[in-house]
Amino acid sequence: MKKIKWLVASLFIFLTGCNLRVLDPKSETARDQSFLIQFSFALMMIVFAIVIILFVWFLSKYRENDQNKDYIPADEKGSPWLEITWTVIPFILLAILAVPTVSITFEQSAQVESTPANAVQIEVTGQQFSWTFSYQNGVETVNNLRLPVDRPVEFTLRSEDIIHSFWIPKLGGKKDLIPGKTRRMIVTPEETGTYQGKCAEFCGREHTKMRFTTTVMEESEYEQWLQEMKEKIE
Amino acid sequence: MTFELFNRTFFIATDVLLAYIALIGTGLGVLYLVNRANKWSVIKDYVTTTHHRKIGVLYLLSATLFFLRAGIEALIIRTQLAVPENDFWVFQGDKFNEAFTTHGTIMIFFVAMPLLIGLMNVAVPLQIGAQDMAFPYMNALSFWLFLAGAILVNMSFFMTASPNAGWTAYAPLSTAEFTPEAGNDYYIFGLQVSGVGTILAAINMIVTIVRHRAPGMKMTRMPLFAWSTLVTAFLILIAFPVLTIALYILMFDRLFGTSFFSGEAGSPIYWQHLFWIFGHPEVYIIVIPAFGIFSDVISTFSKKRVFGYTSMVVAIVIIGLLGFMVWVHHMFTVGLGPVVNTVFAITTMLIAVPTGIKIFNWLFTMRKGVIHLGTPMLFAAGFIPTFVIGGVTGVMLAVAAADFQFHDTYFVVAHFHYTMVGGTVLGAFAGIYYWFPKMFGFKLKDGLGKAHFWLFLIGFHITFFPQHFAGLNGMPRRVYTYTAEDNIFIFNFISTIGAFMMGIGTLFFVWNIYKSFKNPDRCGNDPWNGRTLEWSVPSPAPEHPFDPMPQVTTIDPLWEAKRNRGGKLPVANTSRSAPIDVTSWQPVGFSGLIMLFSLSFIYHVTWLQIVLGIMVLAFFALRTLTDEHTKMAREGEDHDNI
Ligand code: HEM
Ligand SMILES: [Cu+2]
Ligand SMILES: [Cu+2]
Repeated sequence: MKKIKWLVASLFIFLTGCNLRVLDPKSETARDQSFLIQFSFALMMIVFAIVIILFVWFLSKYRENDQNKDYIPADEKGSPWLEITWTVIPFILLAILAVPTVSITFEQSAQVESTPANAVQIEVTGQQFSWTFSYQNGVETVNNLRLPVDRPVEFTLRSEDIIHSFWIPKLGGKKDLIPGKTRRMIVTPEETGTYQGKCAEFCGREHTKMRFTTTVMEESEYEQWLQEMKEKIE
Repeated sequence: MTFELFNRTFFIATDVLLAYIALIGTGLGVLYLVNRANKWSVIKDYVTTTHHRKIGVLYLLSATLFFLRAGIEALIIRTQLAVPENDFWVFQGDKFNEAFTTHGTIMIFFVAMPLLIGLMNVAVPLQIGAQDMAFPYMNALSFWLFLAGAILVNMSFFMTASPNAGWTAYAPLSTAEFTPEAGNDYYIFGLQVSGVGTILAAINMIVTIVRHRAPGMKMTRMPLFAWSTLVTAFLILIAFPVLTIALYILMFDRLFGTSFFSGEAGSPIYWQHLFWIFGHPEVYIIVIPAFGIFSDVISTFSKKRVFGYTSMVVAIVIIGLLGFMVWVHHMFTVGLGPVVNTVFAITTMLIAVPTGIKIFNWLFTMRKGVIHLGTPMLFAAGFIPTFVIGGVTGVMLAVAAADFQFHDTYFVVAHFHYTMVGGTVLGAFAGIYYWFPKMFGFKLKDGLGKAHFWLFLIGFHITFFPQHFAGLNGMPRRVYTYTAEDNIFIFNFISTIGAFMMGIGTLFFVWNIYKSFKNPDRCGNDPWNGRTLEWSVPSPAPEHPFDPMPQVTTIDPLWEAKRNRGGKLPVANTSRSAPIDVTSWQPVGFSGLIMLFSLSFIYHVTWLQIVLGIMVLAFFALRTLTDEHTKMAREGEDHDNI
C-alpha cells in the first residue's frame, strides 16, 4: 500500500516537472514562503520516515502466525526512557522549525507603516465577483493587473461588500480584504511574465470566477502602458 | 422544471425532484418491509427507549444514513470537478456551493459527532461497570434533539433552501444582506437544536464517568476510551456554548435586524473568532474519542496492555487544553498582526508533541505483542500512517507564513480529510466492527469487512493525496471549476476516481451489515479475547448487565481475571444503585415540538412562534413536576437518587 503511494507521489512530481506555482516563486516574499514549505516538509519527513519504519517493522515482526498464536506476551507497562525520548526529540525538531517560522512570520505579518521610496501604489478593490485596480495616475482596470519588474509595489486592499482574499501564488501568500478595513501588502516582482491571481476566500455564487491576471513588465513598457491607458480615458 | 399549484408557479430543480422521488420511494419501501416483517413493536421499543445501548444504536444508525447522504454530495462535487470547465447536471454556482456546505456541515455535526457519541453510549457504561448512563431520560432527549437538528439541516435541500455559506458560515456572507434565503436559517436552527442535545450528552457522560464506576474502578484504571470520552465531554461543555452564542448572535443579525457582524460597531471578524474558538476544539472533539477507540483496539488485538498508560492520559488532557489556544491558525491571513500570528503558530506546533507521544505509544503497544489483524485492527493499523500524514501537514500549516500560501486551498482540504477521515471515520469504523457484537450479539463478517477496509483506505489515499499538489499549484477550495491552463486536471481526475472507490467501499459496509443480520454468526460474550469489563457481560448487553457487580483491582480487569482467576472477576460487596430506566414518548415528542418551533422562526410565522413557545415552556413545567425517583422509591426499588 505505502509503496503504491510513494510511487504515485513521485509520478506526480515527475509529471508536473516540479512546477507547482507555490513552489516557483517570483518574489522574495514568495521565495521565503516556499523555503518554509520545503524546510518544514523536510523536517516532517524525518518524523514520517521514523514512524513508517517502526510501523512496518513491528507489524511484520509481531504479526500473529502459527508459531506465536497461543503465546501470551509479557506484561509491559511502558518505559520512561523511551517516552522521554519521543517527547524531547519532537520538541527539538519543533524548536528548529520555530526559528525561521518566527522570523519570517514576524516580518511578513507586520503592519506596513512606511512605504519604500520608489514604491508603486496600487489600490485593489474586491467586490462580488471582480477585482478593480486603480493606479496612481487615475487609471483603473478590471481583473487585469500590471506591475513593473524589480520595483516594490504597495497594494492597498479594500472590499466593497464581503470578505475576499487577494492571492497571486507566484508572488506571495494571501491577504484578506475585510469590509470596513484597509489592509496593505508590499511585494517586489523579480521576473517579467504573466501570473494567475485568484480570490481565495469563498465569497458567494461566482467566487470561482473571481480571478485576475497579473502581468509583470519591464519598467519602460509599464510606464508606456500607463500613459496609453490614461490617454484612453481622457 | 416549473409547475403550477394554487395559482402560483413553482420552480423545482431536477436534482431536488429526483431526491424527492428517491426519498419517497425508499420511505415506502421501508414501511412496506417493516409492516411485512411485523416489526412495529421493535420500532416503538427503540423510539421510546432510554437504554444506553439502544440509544447508541440509534445514533449510529442515523449517522450512517447521513454519511450516505453527505457521501453522495461528495461524489457530486468530485464529478463536477473531474475535468476542467465541466458542466455536470446543475452543480455550478449556487448549487455547487450548497453541495459543499451541506456536505461539510452534515459530515461534521451529523456524521462524525453521532458516530462517536453513539459508540460512547454503547461502550462507556459497560467499560466502567455502570448499569446505564447516569440520566437515561436525558440521554434519550439528547439523541432526539440531535436528530431534530439533523433533520432540519437535511430537509433544507428538499425545501430548495440549502445553506450556502460554507460549513463555517462566515459573516457577512451569512447575514441577511447577502444570503436572504431561508438556507442559512436552517443552518442556524439545525446546529442550535442539535448542539443542545450534544451539550446534554456531554453532561451525561461526565456524570456517568464520575459517579457510576464499578467499585475499584479508579480513574487510573479506566480504559482509554472512557478517558477520552471524559476529556471530550469537557471540551464539548466549554466549546459548544460558544457555538450557541455565535449562532444566537447570527440569528439576531439575520432575523431581527441587529448588526453584530457588520456596520460601524460590529465586525465580521467577531464571527471568525467565535466560530473558531468553538471550531478548533470541535475538531479535537471528533478525534480524541477515535484515539480512545484505537488505544483499546490496538491493545486488545496485540494482546498487550497499552504502552505508557499515564502518558496516554496526560497526552489527551494536554491536547484538550492546547486545543483552546490555537484557533487563530484558521485566521492567519486576516491580518491580526505579527505577535498574534507567531504566538498562535507556536501553540499550534506544540500540539504535535502530545500527538506524537500517542503515536509512538501505539507503535510500542504493538511491539512484542501478538498482532491479530482482525477487521477492527486493520482499521487501527490503517489509521497510523494516514493520520501521521495529516499530522505532518498540520505542522506545515502551523508555519504561519507558509500558511499564507496554503490557506483556503486544496492543500487544506487534503489535510483535514486526512485527519477527519483518517482519524474519526477510520476510528468509528474500527469501533463499529469492534463493539458490534455488544450491540447485537453477532459479529460483522470478516471477509466483507476486509474488502470494505481496503477499498476505503486505498480509495481514500487516491482521493486526497493528489489534492495536496492541486493546492500547491494554486487551486483554491470551494471552487466549482478550473481551466486547463491551471494544470490541475490530472490531480482532480485521479481524485475523482478515488472518491468513487471509497463510495464502493462504503457500499460493502452497508452490504456487510445486511448480510450479518440475515445470517448472523453468534459469537458469545468475548469474541476478541477482550481485556476490559464490557466483554464480561452478555452480548447484546442486557438492561442491568453487571449482576453481580465486579470488584475492579487493576487496569484491564477481565484480562487479569483470565490470566489469574480462571476468567472469574472478583465480586464486589457494595454496589452503586442503577439509574432509573423508563420508557417514554416525551423525548421524541418534545424534539418534534422544538423542530416545529424552529421552522416557525425560519419561515417567520409569528403566531406559530408564540403558540409553540408556550407549548415548549409548558413541557418544561410538566417535566419539572415529574418525579420518577419518589415513584421508584415508593415501589421499593433499589435505585440511585442523585
Ligand atoms: C467519503 C469521502 C469524502 C469525499 C470524497 C469528500 C470530498 C470533499 C470535497 C471534494 C470537498 C471540497 C469542497 C470544496 O472546497 O469545494 C470536501 C469538503 C469538506 N469535507 Fe469532505 N469528503 C469526504 C468525507 C468527509 C468526511 C468524512 C468529513 C468529516 C468528518 C468531511 C468533511 C468535509 C468538510 C468539513 C469540508 C469543507 C466544507 C466547506 O468547505 O464548507 N468530508 N469534501
Ligand atoms: Cu471569492
Ligand atoms: Cu484548528
